[in-house]
Amino acid sequence: MQSFTYIRPSTPAEAIAAMAGGGPGTRFLAGGTTLYDLMKLGVEGPLRVIDITRLDALARFDTSGPHELVFGALARMSDVAADRRLKEDYPALSEAMWKAASQQLRNMARVGGNLLQRTRCAYFRGGAPFACNKREPGSGCAARDGMDRGNALLGASDACAAVYPGDWAVALVAFDAVVDTLSPRGERSIPLAELHREPGSTPEVETTLAPDELIVRIRVPRSGAGRGSTYHKIRDRESYAFALTSAAVAVRLSAGVVAEARVALGGVATRPWRSPEAENVLLGQPLTEDVAQSAGQAAFAAASPGVHNAFKVELGAQTITDALMIARQRAEQP
Amino acid sequence: MSHPDIPRVDAREKVRGATQYTADHALPGLAHGMLAVATIGRGRILSLDTDAARRVPGVRMVLTHLDTVGLQSAGFLLGGGYGFQSLQPLLGAAIAYRGQPIALVVADTLEAAREAAALVRATYEQDAISVTLDAPGAEILAQADSPLPKPAFADRVAGDADGALSAAATRVDATFQGPPQHQNPMELLATVAEWSRGELTIRESTQNAEALRHGLAKVFGLAPDRIRVLSPTAGGGFGQRNSLQAHTALVALAARELGRPVKLVVPRAQIFNNASFRPASRHTVRLGADASGRMVAAVHEIDHQTSRHDLFPLSYADLTARLYGIANFRGRERLVRNDIQTPGFARAPFEHIAACAFETAVDELAYALGRDPVAFRVANDAATDPLTGRPFSSRHVVACLERGAERFGWERRTQAPGSMRLADGTLVGWGVALGAYKAATAPAIAMLRVTDAGEIFVSVGGHEMGQGIRTAIASTVAVDLGVPAEAVNILVGNTGSVPQHLTAGSWGAATALPAVHKAALNMLRELERLAGNGPANRTFQQILRDAGRSHVDVEARHHAPGQPDAIFDRVAQGLPAAAGPAYPDFVSMSFCAQFVEVRIEPRTRRIRVPRVVSVVDCGRVVSPRTARSQVLGGVVWGIGAALREVSEVDPRYGGFVNADLAEYVIPVNADIGTIEAEFIDEPDPLINSMGVKGLGEVVMVGVAPAIVNAIHHATGRRLRHLPVRVEDVL
Amino acid sequence: MQDKTSRPSPLRGAQSKQETAGEPNTGGGLLAAHLLTRRQFTAGSIAVASGLSALGSACTGCDTPARSADTSVRLHVNGTRAEVDIDLRSSLLDVLREQLQLTGAKKGCDHGQCGACTVHLDGRRVASCLTPAVQADGREITTIEGLSPEGGPLHPMQQAFIDQDALQCGYCTPGQIMAAVACVREGNAGSAEQIREYMSGNLCRCGAYAGILAAIQQAAPEIGGT
Ligand SMILES: Cc1cc2nc3c(=O)[nH]c(=O)nc-3n(C[C@H](O)[C@H](O)[C@H](O)COP(=O)(O)OP(=O)(O)OC[C@H]3O[C@@H](n4cnc5c(N)ncnc54)[C@H](O)[C@@H]3O)c2cc1C
Ligand code: SF4
Ligand code: FES
Ligand code: FES
Repeated sequence: MQSFTYIRPSTPAEAIAAMAGGGPGTRFLAGGTTLYDLMKLGVEGPLRVIDITRLDALARFDTSGPHELVFGALARMSDVAADRRLKEDYPALSEAMWKAASQQLRNMARVGGNLLQRTRCAYFRGGAPFACNKREPGSGCAARDGMDRGNALLGASDACAAVYPGDWAVALVAFDAVVDTLSPRGERSIPLAELHREPGSTPEVETTLAPDELIVRIRVPRSGAGRGSTYHKIRDRESYAFALTSAAVAVRLSAGVVAEARVALGGVATRPWRSPEAENVLLGQPLTEDVAQSAGQAAFAAASPGVHNAFKVELGAQTITDALMIARQRAEQP
Repeated sequence: MSHPDIPRVDAREKVRGATQYTADHALPGLAHGMLAVATIGRGRILSLDTDAARRVPGVRMVLTHLDTVGLQSAGFLLGGGYGFQSLQPLLGAAIAYRGQPIALVVADTLEAAREAAALVRATYEQDAISVTLDAPGAEILAQADSPLPKPAFADRVAGDADGALSAAATRVDATFQGPPQHQNPMELLATVAEWSRGELTIRESTQNAEALRHGLAKVFGLAPDRIRVLSPTAGGGFGQRNSLQAHTALVALAARELGRPVKLVVPRAQIFNNASFRPASRHTVRLGADASGRMVAAVHEIDHQTSRHDLFPLSYADLTARLYGIANFRGRERLVRNDIQTPGFARAPFEHIAACAFETAVDELAYALGRDPVAFRVANDAATDPLTGRPFSSRHVVACLERGAERFGWERRTQAPGSMRLADGTLVGWGVALGAYKAATAPAIAMLRVTDAGEIFVSVGGHEMGQGIRTAIASTVAVDLGVPAEAVNILVGNTGSVPQHLTAGSWGAATALPAVHKAALNMLRELERLAGNGPANRTFQQILRDAGRSHVDVEARHHAPGQPDAIFDRVAQGLPAAAGPAYPDFVSMSFCAQFVEVRIEPRTRRIRVPRVVSVVDCGRVVSPRTARSQVLGGVVWGIGAALREVSEVDPRYGGFVNADLAEYVIPVNADIGTIEAEFIDEPDPLINSMGVKGLGEVVMVGVAPAIVNAIHHATGRRLRHLPVRVEDVL
Repeated sequence: MQDKTSRPSPLRGAQSKQETAGEPNTGGGLLAAHLLTRRQFTAGSIAVASGLSALGSACTGCDTPARSADTSVRLHVNGTRAEVDIDLRSSLLDVLREQLQLTGAKKGCDHGQCGACTVHLDGRRVASCLTPAVQADGREITTIEGLSPEGGPLHPMQQAFIDQDALQCGYCTPGQIMAAVACVREGNAGSAEQIREYMSGNLCRCGAYAGILAAIQQAAPEIGGT
């Protein structure tokens, strides 16, 4: 790891100022479970690190508001996962948290950093000798003709098909979450659906945030489909693993048919992936297993699999189907 | 003599975090090492640029192949030497595999060493590589035609398998692919090397302290008695620590040149690409049964990977020939040379995957014959060893099957695949498979001392790596001398006392315990002699004092049946000297029967293993508590090997791609359901005075095929590779 | 009783061991039974005799080791306050192990993937390998060494790990125990299923999972979710 300068502000304004004065190569450090990990691997090499974990004002969250749930960017994953109200009102948001990583990591990681975690593509993390456009723009993509079992079927480009590995952002995108940021230019709000970019020809650019932009909070508008939701995650082992496929779904049923449908996919796309195709299949239909199956299939209609990941078309569709069956049960409970 | 259920004797230290593993040693002036490794799959170094590395503050040394003049390789463990492979990195510019070290950086701090190692730059001339069994350029060599010693590595043949097969009424012909897998003991490979007055002390968790000592003696041209290796406790071994590692001599060299102790902890990713692993293998199994349903012929052909620089021998058919009483058997084993580090032993190295290939085929044959898989196995048990015609020293296969079937509730199983589906559509499958493993024995010397202060010291050849050898030794001495187990001080893994033969192949207990037992009996005799006609009812301390002795020492030696006494010379030279399973008058093996329930989700097809029953015939159980833990651990290994673990290879790059513990998926707590362990606990009457056969590996054998068979029972699909993952059953 | 430490070790390099055994069990061999009836039986603490300790100082001619100490942090470890000069790049795990000689926390992966390095930071379990040491500045750290007093009674979780044989090689054990104690305190030890899930961040290659589950079930009532 190369040496760096360390700055520890205690207010968001100080953090922004430190960033503005830092120049390129300056990074925010939250829990460090992505950034410090990649620094150890030599994949990231910031020259200046701004430790934002003591911005206590951003560590709070409130799931009781009448219009929206608000999560300070520095709330810990473990605390959010354990929130009783969230478990009851938005099980998908809670499950996406506790099914991620391990309790140790969730105690460290913060919800803002969580959104910005980077791909687990082994060629990206492995460093030399692997070609990787995301790590070294223009070097090629080793995954393309290699071990692409973990790679994306949706949103990929010729340059990169790395999966967005996170869970929570998938659940958030299903609920139309918004991210508030602070920068020297002031505050702005970005719909979560617009936070992550597809790789296109610049896979090294992963988000629409400016380098000096600090995420301060995440807001989730209340939804009638919250209780009828789940985050269903299929992995190579029962726990402590990233998703092979996952689905965040939420439904509101009215008069026996689906009145509101939210479907998002994880483990299969280059960014948190909302599937209007699946939602359209569901809307206005009774939520039978057949309808759920059709929704699952629809979500993958545009999938373009590689060599080792073609099974995720079927697995992903079944994951959605299962998730919808769980959601229906919850939605039907009085 | 029944053995009490005593707690693990080193558990108290372990739960307090007080046990010292290699990297836990702090020495004054300690410097930290870090390796830089080759990024090409094969070729040679054209130039090395270490300037940037040397400029990092705190860096004291960058060792490269230009600094190793006069050193020589310690040789390959299975080629008369001491190393996991014959290739000692940094002795030349040639690169044989990706991940081969090209430099060792030593610095005052770990951070500096790490930073500097990342700055070492090399240019290479690259050659084409072949890193998989079927890659172009992979050379195939029949083991029978290889220079490997015979008859140890001759093809296993009994009767006329091909003839009997063509005459058989019912046949199956199946292939099976075994993936490369890594042992991944939790403790990282590490070494602390320290010189004083021309003498070298190595602290390294190993299964083979003597090989480290003699191997390093060879590397440095030193007398072995100037080297001491200390490995009191290893954080797991599983075969990966069975010999001199690629880095050890380099750390010792750096320590000598710097005049400071040096510690190297090898990062997990480097271990994947620069230490032994379970090689990929492919199997063809052909079985034939006569009209009565008796298996009459079996052919088992195996290819497995080895490196270009070593021949890692195969020994798969040695197991499968003995699983059943099949009169006509032919094994054929071939080596496939790839551009990889030399693969090696990983828990149940051959047996696990051999049994997987064979036992899934046996299941298929049982189905072809419409027979219940347990009944079919019982009916085909062996009376004598098919390969040698000798009797088995003990063989409780049928008892394992019958007890297991009863405990598992096998009679409630319905035979048809898919027939045990639950109401919610969950597929249920029940599978069974046999496991077996050679009951090998190595020579051991045990020293026992009692003192007039009441202390008891035992020193014996053996290594503690979690299997519980200390506890078994303590239990043996405790029972023999009538003392509490906690009173026994045990010295193992230390070349400063008695020779430390390799502890592997499940021979640890059968090697150390009979020697310890004999020493204990010698001690009792000696004390009796000292007691003479003096007053009765004295403690041994009083006897010693009355006799004017501060202590009494006794020694005992034990070797395998049929071995000459000269075998101890090999042990003293740090060379492998184990024998078995075929002894002059009998064949000795441990056996087990594994019963597994799998549940497969109706839609997403996740495979779960809620329940395993494992019944084991390992001879006498000397330490019930640690033995049970061994069974549970072996089953967890079987579940991991069957459903999770594969070391991914990218044929363009060589090496392994998923070289960390997130991508190389081993089971976690949530993967494990109930595991019931049961022991036959019948002492083997012939193998040794304690009646113990091996345990640590047999417990893994059979788990994976039982799972694969259960998946067939659940789904009707015959799967012919590991690991079986969700994509295989969708 | 004689002073044990002044005695030459009977076997070269014998490890020291301090344990006092109870009255000897007399169920063994006949002769042994009558030889060992009365005396309290003490296994001595034996000094390492073969010059091992002398070896450590053999740093002839090397400079004073340099440490690129970039900053200094205040760490409250196991109830003790320490001001430590650290390299900013150092993980908490490396500082605990290499600078404070608290080697109970282990390195199994160095990337948050195994749990062997688990310690408590302000009462929460964390992976110390992925915690930059500088982030622990001013925080309370508890390691396995701080879980029970030296020489005193074990923490109920430690005792449960012994009773249930929830370990083999012991390498993952300090991390498992720190995770297990936290698991109970968090209130995540309510059922077998929940324990398995919340203990899945700690790999055990020896496969002691069943014992670990049993140990937590044994100790949980004694610790209580607080
Ligand atoms: C072994 C392992 C397993 C894991 N498994 C899972 C899993 O199953 N599912 C899952 O979802 N995740 C998983 N993760 C990823 C983990 O959840 C993320 O690493 C974590 O959430 C990142 O949060 P952090 O606070 O540690 O971020 P950091 O590492 O501190 O930061 C991550 C990135 O975000 C930036 N950043 C952080 N906060 C802000 C902010 N407020 N504003 C602007 N930029 C910011 C940083 O500069 C950095 O680039 C796993 C991680 C590991 C190591
Ligand atoms: S998929 Fe993307 S991250 Fe992976 S190797 Fe290709 S470019 Fe790199
Ligand atoms: S060493 Fe920290 S999680 Fe593995
Ligand atoms: S006890 Fe060995 S890794 Fe857990």
